[in-house]
Order: sequence, then C-alpha cells, then structure tokens
Amino acid sequence: MNAWRIALDSIWHHKLRSSLTALGVVIGVFAVVTLASLGAGVRNYVTGQFNSFGAALLTVTPAPPGAQKSLDAAASGNRGGSARGSFGGGGGGGFGSTPSTLTLGDVQAILALKSAHVAAAAPVADAAALVANGNLDAPGATVVGTTAPYFAMSNLHFASGGVSAGFSTGAVLGQAAAAALFPSGGAVGSTVSVNGQAVPVVGVLAAAGSQLGGDPDQAVYVPVAQALSISGASTVSEILVRADGTAGVSAASAAIQAALALRHPLKDFAVVTAGQILSIIQSTLGVITSVLGGIAAISLLVGGIGIMNIMLVTVTERVHEIGTRKAMGARDSDILVQFLVESVLLALLGGVIGTACSGLAGSIVGHAVNVPLGLTASSVSLALVFSVAVGAVFGVLPALNAARLMPAVALRSE
Amino acid sequence: MDARPVGDPLVQLRGISKLYGRGDAAVRALAEIDLDIGRGEMVALVGPSGSGKSTLMHVLGLLDRPSAGSYRLSGQEVARLSGSAAARLRGSRVTFVFQAIHLLPSLTAAGNVELPMAYARLPRAQRRTRAREALERVGLLDLAQRYPGQVSGGQAQRIAIARAVAGGPQLLLADEPTGALDRRSGQTVLALFQELHQRLGLTVVTVTHDPLVARHAQRIVQLEDGRIVSDAPVTDRLLADGADGERTA
Repeated sequence: MNAWRIALDSIWHHKLRSSLTALGVVIGVFAVVTLASLGAGVRNYVTGQFNSFGAALLTVTPAPPGAQKSLDAAASGNRGGSARGSFGGGGGGGFGSTPSTLTLGDVQAILALKSAHVAAAAPVADAAALVANGNLDAPGATVVGTTAPYFAMSNLHFASGGVSAGFSTGAVLGQAAAAALFPSGGAVGSTVSVNGQAVPVVGVLAAAGSQLGGDPDQAVYVPVAQALSISGASTVSEILVRADGTAGVSAASAAIQAALALRHPLKDFAVVTAGQILSIIQSTLGVITSVLGGIAAISLLVGGIGIMNIMLVTVTERVHEIGTRKAMGARDSDILVQFLVESVLLALLGGVIGTACSGLAGSIVGHAVNVPLGLTASSVSLALVFSVAVGAVFGVLPALNAARLMPAVALRSE
Repeated sequence: MDARPVGDPLVQLRGISKLYGRGDAAVRALAEIDLDIGRGEMVALVGPSGSGKSTLMHVLGLLDRPSAGSYRLSGQEVARLSGSAAARLRGSRVTFVFQAIHLLPSLTAAGNVELPMAYARLPRAQRRTRAREALERVGLLDLAQRYPGQVSGGQAQRIAIARAVAGGPQLLLADEPTGALDRRSGQTVLALFQELHQRLGLTVVTVTHDPLVARHAQRIVQLEDGRIVSDAPVTDRLLADGADGERTA
C-alpha cells in the first residue's frame, strides 16, 4: 500500500486545513533556521575578519602570573566554563592593567631564537605625545613606537612613502592623522612636531578601518627608541610576532614562552594567538546562538502540538475510512503507518516552506547588512530532521488511536 | 442445491456469545449460537433490529471477536485470532459488501477494487488483472477510472461487489446490500449475488430484514434476541431479474 500517495491525497483534499496546520511548523522552522544561519553567518564573518587580520599573529602581552594557563585552557576547547569564565572576566582589558616588564631585549631574544616558526617580531610602545604641524594638530592621534616589520604584520599598507629603508627615524601617519595634519596633502617629505621635536614624515598609510586593539587611521608611528625616550619608560606595551603560517603558531608560541620564561622567571607575560582570541569569540557566539535557537525551538514545539491536534480531529473524522480499510484487510500497522506518514509529510511540508522563507529572509537581510547570511547545509538538514521528528513524535498518538480502532466499532459509528 | 451440503462445513460456530458492556449493564447480543454453513451455500440471516444479526455478521467477518465460543473457518479456529492474523483473512478469504457501500472517495473504481489485494500484498500486475476481471464480471469495466462520486448508488454497490470478489474469497458477507438502493438497482445487485454464487460457487451470507431479499437465498436463518429461532431451506426461492442461473426453486 502506498502510504505516501494516500497521505498526499488526504493533504491535498483538505488544502486549507493542511496549510494552516503546516503554518505552525513553517514559523517554527523559519525561526530556528534563521537564527542558526544568522549565527553561522556572523561566525564566518568574524573568522574572515580574523583571517584577513592575520591568523598567524601572536601577541606577547604583560599578564599576571598564571594567566597563560587559563588562556590556553580556554582556547583549547575546554568547555568546562570556569577557565573560559575567568578569562572572559579578565580578558576584556584586564591584562592592560598589569604593569609591563617586556623590554626591547625581549624582542631581541625572540628574534635571536632563529626559530623556523618565528617570521617576524615587532615591539609596540604606546607613548603620550602631542603631534602637530605648525598650528594644525591631530587631537585624536595616538603615538605608537614600533619597528619596520610592524606594518606588514598588522596588514597596514602605505598610500605613499614607506619604510623599506628601515624605520630608525621619521614618522608614519595613519590616514586620519595625515588628513588632520596635512589637509592639502603632501605629508611625505614634510615634518611634523612630536612633543616639540621635528620629525620627517616618511610614509602615510592607506585607510585601514578600525581593528581590534586600536585604530591605525588615527595613529602616528615613530621608531620605538623615540617613543621610549618620549615616555621615559624602558618597557614596551606588547610585542607582536608573526609565525611562518597558521600551522606554525603553536610551535612559535611555545618557543617564545620558553625563551621569555628564562628572562621573566615570574612568568608575568602571556602569549596570545589570534586563534585563541577567535575561539573565545566563537564560543561566546555559539552560546548566544544556542540560547536563541532554543527559544525558537519552542515555536516549533507549538507547531508540533498543532499537528497532533489536527491529526486527532482527522482520525475522528475518518473513522469510517479506517473501518473500511480494516474490513478490506488493512492491519493495525498499515493504518498506523498511513496516519504517521500523513503527519510527517505535513510537518515536512512546513519544514521545507519554512526553510525556503528563511533562505529568502537571510539573503535579503544579508544584502542589507553586507554579511553573507545564506542557508547552510547544516541548518537545512537540521530543519528537515527537526520537522520530520516533530511530525513523527506528534503523529504517534493520533496514529495509534486510529490503528487501535476495532473495525466493527469503526463501521458501526455514525 | 437447496439441500444443506453435507461434509466439512466452511463455517462452524459453536456456543458463540457476544456481550457488550460489563456486569449488570452487560447486553447479550449473541447467546450461544451454533451454526454450520457449508461451502457454496447462499444463506440469509434475518431478524428484527437488535436481534443480533449484524453482530453475528461482524463475528463471521472477523470484524469483531466473540466473548465466548468457537469459530472454525474451513477447519481453522479463528475466534481468538490476533489483530494482524484476522486482518490477513479479512479482505482476502472473507470479504464484505456493506449497506453504506464504503468505497473510498479518493480512489477510482479500479483503485477501490484493488485495495484489499493491495493490503494482502499482491503484486501490482496481478492486482490490475484481477480488478479488471472483477469489474468486467459486474459489468462496469467502462467505469474503472471513475471516482465513486461520479457513479450512481447501484453502480457503486456493484463496484463494491467487484471489490469483494476480486481476490477470490471463500466467504462473502453482505450487510443489507440493497438497503440503500432503489428497487431496480437492488434487483441488479441480488441478481449479481445469485450469479456469483452460481458461477463461482461462492458462499454468500446476506444479512437483511427484508423477507423478499431473504427469499433470494437458499436457506434462511432467523435470529431473535441473540438466538437462532428458525433455520430452514427456502422452498419458494426468488430469482432476481437478469440472474441466468437455475430457474426452479
């Protein structure tokens, strides 16, 4: 007996009722799939940003002793929650309050490793200084001391000029800083005053947009020695290291930790990889997505109850049909399968329509916010599996009711 | 032919009782019925409403289980069969024609005729052939692709008869088969039963309250209050118009 044909016939013969019943599942699946693809889309977007920013980057930052351990635990997929929680709590900017003990000697030590996995390293020293060009100043400008490799590592490109000849003197201006100091252009070759000292501008950066940990467009880069002499400090804020590829990141991290541990017996530093930051952001996003998905799943549950309700009515309505089929030799299992298939098909219909609506909504919203929000294979299969499960679970009771009818009773009832 | 055949009966009921409800509220629909029906017999079950004749038909047709007693169908005890075992016999060895006809409106005439064979898991090609043969036998092959809503009541009942005989049953049970039909259609249906009985040697049991319908059978079993009160051969048997069988009663 072709249960699918029977079910399709029955659904087709009651178009309005079937579509209203399926609507509950349509809404439920729409909500679940939309949230799932939203979560996946945002996650992919963040990952993409990180990859362009540099997945091979490591940052050595000052940190309280022991921070490295909880950081590693959080990023290595430890879902215990406590490690992630402690890092999450202190990570927002917590390490920034730890006084730095990192020096240029540490940078030298990292470079002296001659490790195959360390491709480049550059110190980052923040300095408080006024930058001006005559009577024009750049109020939002931050002065950052660093070395030549920094620009390539941070994915910063020069609009004009450059540091190919080394970065021992001069200044590099971010796009916004250059525009503020030299509104009519021609910055390269001119001089700016940094805390009263005349410094030649050797390069202007192309617009980079805001990045994690600062705004390169607003920055004025000077050689690290100059920044240290301005601030009068001997320590740098952090050290940026590039591994020779994403595969070398963990080896580079281990090598740096070993080398710096000799120089910092207190272990008052931490080596943070881009991947670690990424995985922490991703797991946070994952939690948010699952909480929202759970809420959306409630509407799917309501849709399932709607199906059960209608199927119970259907069974009562079709007592004669059931009686006839049983008199014609249909077994209990034939009737059970017939009604179960009908409810599964109804739910599946709702699931397919809901998924299609979600795909449509995702592409419209995605276009609007410029984040790719398509359907993913996993969200589609999730939706279909879910709707089949809803149909099966909520169809069992009505189908059992139908199957258990005694044929004589079913035929007699008027 | 109107004498009771001797030998192994097709149906053998012994002490069949059926109670509805429990305790003091229990209603006894059948009280220790003993009945034999031979192969190839045409029997009418008559009685006023509430006499238990429909209940007896449901028991005979394995649509209902008796509360007590033994029911042997060609020698096999079937009174307490499991649901699926009873379902296997229904629609293939024991088939039905109902007063309310009960064709499925979403299937064509051919689809309805094929239905019991589909539940009996017969191969599709075999179902097709047999359905065609059965529809031809009731003279409605040209209506094979019509839906029940597109045919008259008499035609629908003939389709239902085709459905009942297509699988080659041993026992055909008809519950007031002419009850919903006009006189002419009723005559056609009765003629068809007599012809099927005559040609195929089919055992036919008809439940009716109409004495005229009953006189088309060879034997009349009368029930009252769940008991058989008379069981006698028909001496003045009626032959329906169009039945080309024996012309002598």
